[in-house]
Amino acid sequence: QNSFTVCFSVGYSAVALNHVIDFKEKKQEIVKPTSPSELFPSLPIVQGTSKRIKVLTRLTLIVSDPSHCNLLRSTSANIRLYDIIAVFPKTEKLFHIACTTLDVDLVCINVTEKLPFYFRRPPVNMAIDRGIYFELLYTPAIKDSTMRRYTISNAISLMQICKGKNIVISSAAERPLELRGPYDVANLGLLFGLSEGEAKAAVSTNCRAAMLHGETRKSACGVVYTVKKPRKVEEEETAVPACKKAKTQA
Amino acid sequence: RPAGRGMAAAAFERRVLRRAAEHHYLRVRLELPDGGARPSAAQFKQLVVTALRELHGEVGAALPVDVLTYEEKTLSAILRVISSGLVKLWSALTLLGFYQNRRCAFRVLQTSPFLLALSGNSRELVL
Repeated sequence: QNSFTVCFSVGYSAVALNHVIDFKEKKQEIVKPTSPSELFPSLPIVQGTSKRIKVLTRLTLIVSDPSHCNLLRSTSANIRLYDIIAVFPKTEKLFHIACTTLDVDLVCINVTEKLPFYFRRPPVNMAIDRGIYFELLYTPAIKDSTMRRYTISNAISLMQICKGKNIVISSAAERPLELRGPYDVANLGLLFGLSEGEAKAAVSTNCRAAMLHGETRKSACGVVYTVKKPRKVEEEETAVPACKKAKTQA
Repeated sequence: RPAGRGMAAAAFERRVLRRAAEHHYLRVRLELPDGGARPSAAQFKQLVVTALRELHGEVGAALPVDVLTYEEKTLSAILRVISSGLVKLWSALTLLGFYQNRRCAFRVLQTSPFLLALSGNSRELVL
């Protein structure tokens, strides 16, 4: 709860709550996300605008085996309730699968240990074409100095392959003190090798694009939304003749 | 057409500085939620240099940083750094997590190449 009050004071306009599912343990079921309205009765207003902060729900799947990906292919009812879906591949094969065929929004890049595989250009380019974003975390870098080295080295190797496109930097903060302001995080992007414009985009436009990518999963081809509407057919029919009347009169 | 050398001296003089500003100024605030002892000015400077050393090594720690003002009550300060070192200093402050084994966080409130610009903050305007 406290973390979110800090977010608001620091200047973020949308926050995503993360649920992590690790497939190594047996019998993991995807739970329904707690709706944000249950957690916060009233959301504060973003500083500088008059809109309220958006709170989204996000699911992170830690996959270390190709059979775990079957869950994503099956249309489980609970998965559709999450706004953003992220996958954390542990092997090179899974990274390839995640970039090319899986229906996810974000691919998390491990920052806490040395990457067991090297990035290759073909899957990364395919992911960029599909609109999938690569995610880097910065909170481990605050906690521990060895993690700092891994974060920076993994980020730099990613930058060399993807040339700075489609990067999202996010925090895995568990405490309010581990959160940093948006401009501070954009500055961290400069450390990772991004240019200034790319670094700012990693915090703002790329994140928004990932959110929209998640929204399009609920719609058909990103254009048509189906919403359950209460039956109002009779009213519509009476409305139509009135318009026709107006046309003939005018 | 050569201008006459004997023109009257202009009443004003215009100077255009094309060089980027030498120093960048940062207004920062240290957040120490636990009610322990607050650092003094010297300890604050030591903390900044330690942060630089942890992230950028000895070269980073040698970066010319000055603490221009420091208020112990609110733990806020104005730092001055040479412009080429702004990214290093800012990233070092962002990634600092601990002060004497206590969790802390640096919040950078404003940054500008001009000291005068730090006096007004549109985010703290009460409309």
